[in-house]
Amino acid sequence: MAAPLIDQDGLEAPLAGVTRPRLPRKLVVGGVIIGILVVLAALAPWIAPYRFDEMSLLKRLKPPSAAHWFGTDEFGRDVLSRTLLGARLSLLMGIGATLLSLVIGVPLGLLAGYRRGRFDEVLMRTMDVLLSFPPIMLGLLILAVTQPALWKAIIAIGIVYVPPIVRITRSVTLDLVNEEFIQAAHVRGDSTRYILFSEILPNAWPPIAVEASLRITFAILLGAALSFVGMGAQPPSSDWGLMVSEARPFVDSAPWIALAPGLAMCLTVIGINLLGDGLRETLDPRMRSQRGA
Amino acid sequence: MITYVAQRLLAIAFILFVMSVLIFGITQVLPGNVAYMIAGQFATPDVVAAIENKLGLHDPIFVQYWRWASGVLRGDLGQSLIMERPVGPLIQEAMARSAILAGVAFICVAVLGIVLGVVAAVRKDSATDNAISVFTYLGISVPEFFWGIVLILVFARYLNWLPSGGIGDPAFGLPVDPRYLILPAITLTFALIAHVSRLTRSSMLEAMRSNYVRFARAKGLAESLVVRRHALRNALLPTITVLAIDVGFLIGGIVVVETVFSYPGLGRLLLFAIERHDLPLIQASILIIATIYCTANLIADILYAYFNPKIRYGRPAH
Amino acid sequence: MSRTLLLDIGDLTVDYATPNGPLRAVNNVSLQVSQGETLALVGESGSGKSTIAAAIVDLLRNEPASITGRMLFNGRDIATASAQERRALNGKHIGIVFQDPFTSLNPSLTIGRQVTEPLIQHLGLSSGEAMQRAVGSLGDVGLPDPSSLVRAYPHQLSGGMQQRVLIATALVCNPALLVLDEPTTALDVTVEAQILDLLDRLRRQRQLGMIYITHNLGVVSRIADRVCVLYAGHVVETGGKSAVLGEPVHPYTKGLLASLPQLAVTDRAARLSAIAGQFPDLTKPVQGCVFAARCPFAEQRCRSERQEIVEAGGRLLRCWKASTVADSPWPGTKPSGSSREGWAISAAAHEPRAERLTKIYSVAAPGGGLEWARGWGGLPWLRLRRRPLRAVDDVSLTIGRGEVLGLVGESGSGKTTLGRMMVRLIEPTRGRLAFAGEDAATLTAGNLQRFRKMNQLVFQNPDSSLNPRRSIGDAIARAVEIHSGLSAKARRERVEELLDMVGLPRRYYARYPHQLSGGEKQRAGIARALATEPSFIVCDEPVSALDVSVQATILNLLKDLRDQLGIAYLFISHDLSVVAHVADRIAIMYAGRICEEGPASAVLQPPHHPYTEALLSAVPFVEPAAGHQARITLNSDPASMLRPAQGCVFANRCHRNLGAICSERAPPSRETADGHRILCHIPLADLETTARVGPGAHANTA
Repeated sequence: MAAPLIDQDGLEAPLAGVTRPRLPRKLVVGGVIIGILVVLAALAPWIAPYRFDEMSLLKRLKPPSAAHWFGTDEFGRDVLSRTLLGARLSLLMGIGATLLSLVIGVPLGLLAGYRRGRFDEVLMRTMDVLLSFPPIMLGLLILAVTQPALWKAIIAIGIVYVPPIVRITRSVTLDLVNEEFIQAAHVRGDSTRYILFSEILPNAWPPIAVEASLRITFAILLGAALSFVGMGAQPPSSDWGLMVSEARPFVDSAPWIALAPGLAMCLTVIGINLLGDGLRETLDPRMRSQRGA
Repeated sequence: MITYVAQRLLAIAFILFVMSVLIFGITQVLPGNVAYMIAGQFATPDVVAAIENKLGLHDPIFVQYWRWASGVLRGDLGQSLIMERPVGPLIQEAMARSAILAGVAFICVAVLGIVLGVVAAVRKDSATDNAISVFTYLGISVPEFFWGIVLILVFARYLNWLPSGGIGDPAFGLPVDPRYLILPAITLTFALIAHVSRLTRSSMLEAMRSNYVRFARAKGLAESLVVRRHALRNALLPTITVLAIDVGFLIGGIVVVETVFSYPGLGRLLLFAIERHDLPLIQASILIIATIYCTANLIADILYAYFNPKIRYGRPAH
Repeated sequence: MSRTLLLDIGDLTVDYATPNGPLRAVNNVSLQVSQGETLALVGESGSGKSTIAAAIVDLLRNEPASITGRMLFNGRDIATASAQERRALNGKHIGIVFQDPFTSLNPSLTIGRQVTEPLIQHLGLSSGEAMQRAVGSLGDVGLPDPSSLVRAYPHQLSGGMQQRVLIATALVCNPALLVLDEPTTALDVTVEAQILDLLDRLRRQRQLGMIYITHNLGVVSRIADRVCVLYAGHVVETGGKSAVLGEPVHPYTKGLLASLPQLAVTDRAARLSAIAGQFPDLTKPVQGCVFAARCPFAEQRCRSERQEIVEAGGRLLRCWKASTVADSPWPGTKPSGSSREGWAISAAAHEPRAERLTKIYSVAAPGGGLEWARGWGGLPWLRLRRRPLRAVDDVSLTIGRGEVLGLVGESGSGKTTLGRMMVRLIEPTRGRLAFAGEDAATLTAGNLQRFRKMNQLVFQNPDSSLNPRRSIGDAIARAVEIHSGLSAKARRERVEELLDMVGLPRRYYARYPHQLSGGEKQRAGIARALATEPSFIVCDEPVSALDVSVQATILNLLKDLRDQLGIAYLFISHDLSVVAHVADRIAIMYAGRICEEGPASAVLQPPHHPYTEALLSAVPFVEPAAGHQARITLNSDPASMLRPAQGCVFANRCHRNLGAICSERAPPSRETADGHRILCHIPLADLETTARVGPGAHANTA
């Protein structure tokens, strides 16, 4: 790939601190959105005006008003409160499932990329099989065998996303293993564990982090989809997917019940996507310039 | 090339085998005794035991698996417990309907995605590029069921242009009334178009920065020729791969979209089966769906090899 | 003899817009090329030569760059021409060939398609006519069987063949001017020689004007009529080849020539002269002479006054001191760094000895057929047929204590694999590597650690040999930590001593690799190798990725370290002149076998193995007075290593092939009195009487 003509002439690296990377807008905007969201979610039990399951038959299906900013649903529950509390569930689902897939996937990927051989073959064949299921299918398959619940959905999603994490960790590791500084570590007699965690991982984590941040959005969406079809969170939980599902019969008479969680989901996912893209932009060029290329 | 195809076929066969074991194994863990369900709630233990024996539920698991697998290979997918009909025709019907919807959506995603990606790359950083970026961003950021509901609200309820769900009767000489396909297809397309357009854009950009495009420009070729013949060809190769992955997402989306639009396809059938713990139906549906996905990947691999001269022609003994 | 002036560039200035401000890559450059002459544009990386090439073919139009200056082609002003007009010019009147042949051809289109494109676009030919002319053009550049080649894809051709295709494409519309941007840098020396001959022939046949951009002064000597030397975007000297190369006037030119390792070196103990200092930052405009910071003749006036071009003795120079410094030689350099007292090379320092080392890889070649194999778990599995690739074939060598063995070979010769086997980075398939009386391949744990301590490796690529996320001090300290029981404080001191030894300032301890220049990174790599106090270091192409002026400093450093510390080296390189400078003994490697070995001076003089002969004849050296030399050309491109060699590995390319005996029986080893060994069927007496080739062919007629 032709680098811009400047690089072709191969300027020598200037002294430290000459280039100051500016934070891209995406990163800032995404960060702000997510920051607000996280704060809201954390403080939800205290700032929500009502409890999420507080029913009132008198106030059913009321449009947004001063007392209920987002109106009420068919059981008279405050939609705003439920949405706020649902934020915790969605974030929990997204982050929890992603963490699970990282904890399992990253060490496997590192080992596979470094060791190659039998272990690598077996692992990749297994991953291929798991990847041959469309994500939601695998999730459904796992959940079909048990009474659905939110925590089970988190585990299922975590398992579903292990293969992509393994893949990307492995491919980054494969790239790094051929770098000469890793071979230099061999030549001076470093142990495998040291090489994996002190030489490879510090260089490998940026692409993994970017991938992980995008996985969070997938996890949130997949979790919402599973709840939507009844395989995730169960009533009376205020998970967003579940809320939309429950709101379906009332969509023309009381659209706010579905719109609130839907918009909240939009905002969340867009925020995380922006954050992830911004991360990719900051991390990539620095990696390249660190290599002096 | 032949060797490549042969290898891939073998790999697929192997994967399908392992998948079938997995599917079978997992569903065996299903709580709720199958025999109970057939016999009904008020059946006596004898009746239940008799049914268990008839179904061979006490045989070792390998035997049960073999019974099922050999049946599948023969085309017998078992008997639905709830509906008491053979699974095969059930699935066939549902699959045909889903296939039409998925097919329409896939074509839209492929064509629109590539076109948008190319346009965005050629007009990099312009207003058009940003607009396309925002548009596709929205697509992947929002869950399909939400978009579906919004579309229903707007087009079916307020504007009353299109039906809000179901499938209707065959019309206009086609097996499915196209008006029932429009909203679900739009929902599916919108959700997936971002993957394709973003990847096409970035691989076009990469192609346009490559050394061979630089050389083509230096030869004095017209820019449109450079884009069309040199950049596009190489840029589209990775797109084939991502389209295959998108088939997977499409299938996932089908489940949700069919629920939102009450479209009687394979996705809805599967959900129905899971809710009722209808074991044979679950097993067969997931197996079929996974097979379709594998086949799509296989086709993508073959197309990739076909269009990539490095794999197709290899290196002659020099 | 008046020739038409083809290209007239005047005061060309190119500024790139960067986040740090405008970067002036080309600064007031003027040059002319006439029909039938070759102008060489010489400079190191960052000199702006590639930018000039891009400006000539209008590739900067879509880049964030501003271009000012005059550019006339055949009298027509092209600087202000429209994009369409420039496009019509490219391909039809100006052809260009870029550096990397492997990526300049579109991998998805056939060769024929790509060669006919300019014909169809510019000359309006039909595809049938265009194909005919393309076939003719491919034949002109010496490609075999062009009519079937047009249906092939680029990846099916070797690098040399791809470069010929690129040349054919550039010439297919019979342009008047050909621009070549480092066309042979990525190719082996023997292939490079063929391409250079081809270019020379084409130029004479078609009366082409050629601009040849390179950093290799040897190539300039071989192919150029006039030379233009660039530094940091400025032209510093322009003139006829013999004048500029034979009697350089500008200090930079002097410095470049002085830092070139020469093959015909008479005094091997001599150190190469180097150019001190670093390349300037092009975003900061410099007052006065751009070279002043590194010039040993600089004065106050040099730094304050802007330098203009002066004409002196038929050439153009950017130096007001031209007349005064014309006869002064470039100053030599003194040994740098401090000697390490009490270096812990124990008396039992080992002498590396390799016995019949062999490495065979099992390689799958697409298109080679299928075979059944046992997959994991014993399942039958279909896969591509694998064939053995003999990367290293039955190699034995011994290196004495403190001795430098230079290992020379082209790409695919197996030299890198051999080097890595000697530090046990790659395990040999067969053979024995002796260490402390045992076979190194069987060592484990404690003994393996001792082996690793004693045997180290310096890598080729400074960019990838250091962990980008560690400071270089930490990287070196790690090596110290593993092999010594020193406390953290003592380790730090040791690292600082090592930094002194390689000539890096102590404050670099905390610096990260991206903050160092290429030469400095390589020094850090050397310091890391020294950190374990080894007695043997394999240097794997340590200077190949560096600029010429930086090369000299690293070579000097390696020599100094050997003199002071008594370490033995296996110095691997594809560049014979570099090896000739450092090595005590030289081994020449081809296709996994060592075909010639002996003391350096003996190897560089007849008798030669035929491959060595061809190498020596192909190496471009700076000999301004020499006319065209008879060059030994080898048939076809380097042997595919997949072919199992029955008999001599060099048989199918050897210009002295004796026929059946060479292909069927392994050549015997012939020795001379001074330990010079040649593997060849031809008797020594015949090898002795070959015509002398290479530099010193005139000088050393002893």
